[in-house]
Amino acid sequence: MSNRSLRATFAPWLRLLAQRRTRLAIGVLLLIVTVFSAVGLLTLSGWFIAASALAGMALAMGMAVAFDVYVPGAGIRFFAVSRTVARYGERLYNHDTVLRLLADLRHRLFTAMARLDDRSLARQRASDWLNRLTADIDTLDGLYLRLLAPPAVALAAITLLAGFLALWVPMVGLAVAALLVPTWAWLTAGQAWLGMASSKRQVAHLQRLRSQAIEHLTGLAELEAYRSREWHRQNFFQREARLSRDQQRLAGVAGLGVALVNLMVGLGMVAALWLVAAAWQQGAISGAVMVMMPIAVLALGEVLALLPAAFTQLGASRGAAERLNEVEEAGQATLSAGHAQLPTGALSVRLRELVLHYPGALAPALQDLDLVVAPGQRLALTGASGAGKSSVAALLTRRMPPSQGEILLGDIPLGEVDEASLRERVAILGQRIDLFQDSLASNLRLAAPEAADAQLWQALAWVELADWAEALPQGLATPVGEGGRALSGGQARRLALARLWLRDPGLVILDEPFAGLDAGTVARLSPRLDAWLTGRSVLYLVHQLDGGAFDPPGITREQRL
Amino acid sequence: MKRDTQPSPRRWLAAHAAGQRGWLMLAALAGIAAGALTVAQMALLAWIVSRLLVDGAPLASLTSAFLLLVAALVARALCQWGQELSGQLASLRIRHAVRAELLDHLAAMGPVRAGARHSAGLANQLVEQVEALDGYFARFLPQLRLCVAIPLLILVVVVSLDWLAALFLLLAAPLIPLFMALVGMGAERLNRDQFVAVSRLSGHFLDRVRGIATLQLFGRTREAATEVHAAADEYRRLSMRTLRVAFLSSAVLEFFASVAIAVVAIYVGFGLLGYIEFGPAEELTLFSGLLVLLLAPEFFQPLRTLAQHYHDRAAALGAADGMLALLSEPVRPTHSAASPPSAPERCVALAAVTLTHPGRGQVLGPLDVVVERGDTLVVSGPSGAGKSALLQLLAGFVAPASGQRLAAPDLKIAWMDQRPLLIHGSLAENLRLAAPQASDAELERALAHAGLAELVAALPQGIHTPLGERGSGLSGGQAQRLALARVFLSDAELVLLDEPTASLDEATEARVIESLRRLGKDGRTLVIATHHPALMAMASRRLALHEGREQALEAGG
Repeated sequence: MSNRSLRATFAPWLRLLAQRRTRLAIGVLLLIVTVFSAVGLLTLSGWFIAASALAGMALAMGMAVAFDVYVPGAGIRFFAVSRTVARYGERLYNHDTVLRLLADLRHRLFTAMARLDDRSLARQRASDWLNRLTADIDTLDGLYLRLLAPPAVALAAITLLAGFLALWVPMVGLAVAALLVPTWAWLTAGQAWLGMASSKRQVAHLQRLRSQAIEHLTGLAELEAYRSREWHRQNFFQREARLSRDQQRLAGVAGLGVALVNLMVGLGMVAALWLVAAAWQQGAISGAVMVMMPIAVLALGEVLALLPAAFTQLGASRGAAERLNEVEEAGQATLSAGHAQLPTGALSVRLRELVLHYPGALAPALQDLDLVVAPGQRLALTGASGAGKSSVAALLTRRMPPSQGEILLGDIPLGEVDEASLRERVAILGQRIDLFQDSLASNLRLAAPEAADAQLWQALAWVELADWAEALPQGLATPVGEGGRALSGGQARRLALARLWLRDPGLVILDEPFAGLDAGTVARLSPRLDAWLTGRSVLYLVHQLDGGAFDPPGITREQRL
Repeated sequence: MKRDTQPSPRRWLAAHAAGQRGWLMLAALAGIAAGALTVAQMALLAWIVSRLLVDGAPLASLTSAFLLLVAALVARALCQWGQELSGQLASLRIRHAVRAELLDHLAAMGPVRAGARHSAGLANQLVEQVEALDGYFARFLPQLRLCVAIPLLILVVVVSLDWLAALFLLLAAPLIPLFMALVGMGAERLNRDQFVAVSRLSGHFLDRVRGIATLQLFGRTREAATEVHAAADEYRRLSMRTLRVAFLSSAVLEFFASVAIAVVAIYVGFGLLGYIEFGPAEELTLFSGLLVLLLAPEFFQPLRTLAQHYHDRAAALGAADGMLALLSEPVRPTHSAASPPSAPERCVALAAVTLTHPGRGQVLGPLDVVVERGDTLVVSGPSGAGKSALLQLLAGFVAPASGQRLAAPDLKIAWMDQRPLLIHGSLAENLRLAAPQASDAELERALAHAGLAELVAALPQGIHTPLGERGSGLSGGQAQRLALARVFLSDAELVLLDEPTASLDEATEARVIESLRRLGKDGRTLVIATHHPALMAMASRRLALHEGREQALEAGG
C-alpha cells in the first residue's frame, strides 16, 4: 500500500469537504464537548465518591471536616445533562453536514457525468453502474463522519486527558499518552493496512457475484437445457466463498481492533492506578484525586471504540473514491468544442473515410464510411440492428469521437463547432425517450427554456395531446412520474415529438419517430412532420425500407450500412 | 423450510438462526464472559482503591491484584474477539444457506416463472439483500442475548452491594424502552408524512443521471446540475425534520444512562458521608460505592450497543420480507409427472395442455402436439400467439396449467432464444457450457457451422478470446450465432429454436439457415418458432398458432 496514492485518491474529495471546513470544525468541536461531558461525568463522580468516603471516615473518627457537597453535586448534574444535550446537538448538526456534503458530491459527479460520451453512458446504462454509483456516493458522503471526525476527536481526547493528568502527576500523563497514542495510530493506520486489500476486494467480489447472479437468472433456460445449471451455480458459490474469506478476514481484523481498544484502555487504567497510588503514598496528591485518574482513563474507551470498524473498511472507501475518480477523469477527456457558429437554415453533412472502433470490440463498428447530405436533403440510412446507425447519430451529435476520418457540419469541422450552437441546430429523436420526474411543462421546456405556455399548448396540439392535457386537473403542471411512467408509451413518444417541434434545427436525425403509435395517429401526424421537416436536412435511421407501419416521407436517397 | 404456509419474516430469520445455533450461542457466551470479566475488572479496581485508601495497604502488597487485573483485561479482550469472530462465522454460513435456498427455489420455479421477474431485481435479492442480513445475525442477535444477560448479572452484583442503588437502575431500565417507543412512534408518523416527498427527492438524482444523454442533446446539463444540487438540499431540509425527532429516541437512552450515573454517584456520595439514614445506605463502603458507580454505565452499555444495531434488524426484516415473497412463488411439479410417450418414435408430446400466466390469463391451449424423432416442426403465428410458450412447454421449462407433457426418458434438449446467455469468460468457456468435455477442434467445428469461423480466425487469441461482462464485445447477431454454435456442439436430440434468425443481417441469416438445414439432415429433431419464409420452407411439419390455439396443421415439407 503506498500512502502517496492513497492520499492522491482521496485528495479531490478532501478538497470538496474542505469547502465546508467551518461546519466540519464545529461538528468536531461538538463531538469533543460530548466526549468531555461523558468523561467528566464519570471522573467527577469517582472523585466525589472517593472524597465523600474519605470525609465520611474522618467524620466517623470524630474529626471536623468541611466538605462542600453542592459544587460537585451540581457538576455531576451538569455533566449528566450536557452529555445528553451535546450528543443530540452533535448528531443533528453532523448529519446536517453529511447531507450537505451529499448535495455537493452529487452536484460534482453529475457535472462530471454530463461530460461523458455516448459510449460510456450506454455501457453504464446496461450494467448496474447506477447502483454502484449511488453506493459509492453514499460511501464517500460518510467520509467525514466515519473517517475524519472520529480519529480527530479521539486524538484530541487522548491529548487533553493526558495533559490534564500531567497537571497532577506528570508521569501519569506521560504513561497514558505513551500507551494510547500508539494505540490510536494502530487503530487508524494499522487497521487500515490490515484490512486494505480485503475490504477493497470485497466490493469487486460483490459486483462479480451480482453479475454472475444475473447471468444465472437470465440464462436459466439454456443452463437447464444443457444441464449446466449445477456447474454455473458452483461457479457462483466459488465466488461467494472468496467473498466470505475476505469478509471473515475483515471481521477478524475489526474484532482485533475492538479487543485492542479495551485492552489498551484497560492497561492505561492499570498503569495510571499504579503510578497515582505511588504518588498518593508519597503525599503528592489527595486520595480523591487518586481515585479519579484511573476512572478518567477508563472513560476514553468509548471515544476509541468507533475507530477499528471504520478504518478496517478504509479499502472500500478507497475503492469508491477510485471509481468516482475514474468517472471524473472519463468526463475530462471531453470532446473538443470550438467557437464556430453553425449557419442558419438547412445544414449540410459530410462524413469522410470514417472509422469507429470501440475499445474492446472484436470488429470496428464503422469502416471507411462516406456519407453526404446536401442542405434540405432527406437521407435514409438503412441497416440491420448493430450495423452502426446509432453510432452515426452519436458521431453527428458529437457524443462520441471517431477513431479516424472527418465530420463536417455546414462545411465546418465538427470539432470547431460551438457547443450551444451545435445543440441548437442539430436535433435528434431516438428510440429511447427520456422524460424526467417533473411536470409536463418542464419536460417540454427542456427543448425551449424560454417558451411561453401558449407555445407549449401549440406544441401539444401539434401532436394531438392538447385535449388530453386540458382534461388533466393540473394541466401543464401535471407530473409525468419517474421516467414518464404516468404516461403511456404513445403519449411519451408524442411528447418527444412536441419537444422536437419546439425547436428550430437545421439537421434532424429521426430514429423510428412514430414507434409505438397506432396507425391512425401515424397517418395524421406524418404529413405534419413532413411539412415541419421542409427546409431542414433530415437523416432517417431505419431497419429497412419495406413499406412497414411508417414510410418516412420525402426520402431523397437511401444508403445502406 | 416448509413453504405450505408462508412464515413471517421474523420466523424465517429465526429458523435460519437455529441452523447456526452453535456459533450464535458461542458469540453470545463470549459476550457474556466478556461482560462478567468487565464486572471482575471493576471489582478489582474498586478493591485495590479501597485497600489503598481505607486500609492503607502498601502498593507492593497489591502486586498480585494488579496482575489479576491485567489477566482479566487480556481474557476480556480475547472474549470480545471471539464474539466478533463467531458472530461473523454464523452470519457467513447463514447467508450461504439463504442463497442456496433462493437458488433452489428459482431452479424449481423454472426458467419461465423465474425469468418473468426482473433479473436485476432478483440479482439484487441474491447478493445485496442477502448481505443485508449480515448485521442482524453477526451483531444484533448475539447482542439481543447480551442485553438481557449482562444487565441482569450487573443487577445481581449491585443488589448484593446496595439494593437501593439497584432499584435506581431497575427503575431506569424499563423506562428506556418505553420512552424510546413513544419517540419512535412520533418519528414513524413524521416519516410517513414525509415519505413521499423524501423518496421523490432521493430519486431525483438517479432520474437525471438516467436521462443525461437527453440533457446533453438539449444542451441543458448545467441547469440540470444546479437542479440536482437544489433537490439534494431540499432532501436534506426534509430529512432533518425527521431526524430531529428520530434522534430524540437515542437522546432518551443517553439521558437515562447519564441520569442514572448521576443519581447513583450522588446517592453513594451522600450515603458515604452519612447524610442518608435509611435503607442500606449506612452500610456503604468506598469499595461497594465505587463498584456501584463503575457498574452503572456498564448496565446501560449493552442496550446502547443494541440501539446502534437496531437498524440491522429493520434491514434484515425488510430483506426477509422480499425473499419470502419470492419463496412463496409456486414451483413446477417435480418430474415424476412426466411419463414417457406411448410410442418409441415419439420424442416429446403435449396432451391437451393449457398454459396460464399470472395477470394475463390463459396464453396457450388447449393444444395437442406430438413431436416425432427426426421431425422439423415449424411453429408460426403473429407475435403473442404463444409460439414461445409452446417451446417452453415442450422443453419442460414451465408446467402446463392442465394437460400433460410426455417426454422420452432422459431426453436431451438444446435451446436457443433471442437473448442468449453470455457468461464472463472466454469464447471457449461460453461454448463448453453446452458440452463441458468438448475438444478445441470440436469447438472450432461448431463455430464454423454457426458462421463464426471467420470472426474467430481474425482474433489473435482465437477461441480463448475473453468476452467482457454480459458479452460486451459481441454484437447482437454474433451473440446469436454463438448460441447457435452451442446447439451444434451439444449432442441433444431435441433442438428448440425461438426466432433463431431475428436480429441477423441478410448474409448471416442465409448462412445460419443453411446450418440449421444441416442440423435437420443430421437426424436431430427440430422445433423452430419463426416468421421467416426460408425457415418455414425447411419444415417437415407446420403448426400455425393464433391466440394460443392451433389454426391448421398441415403435413408437408
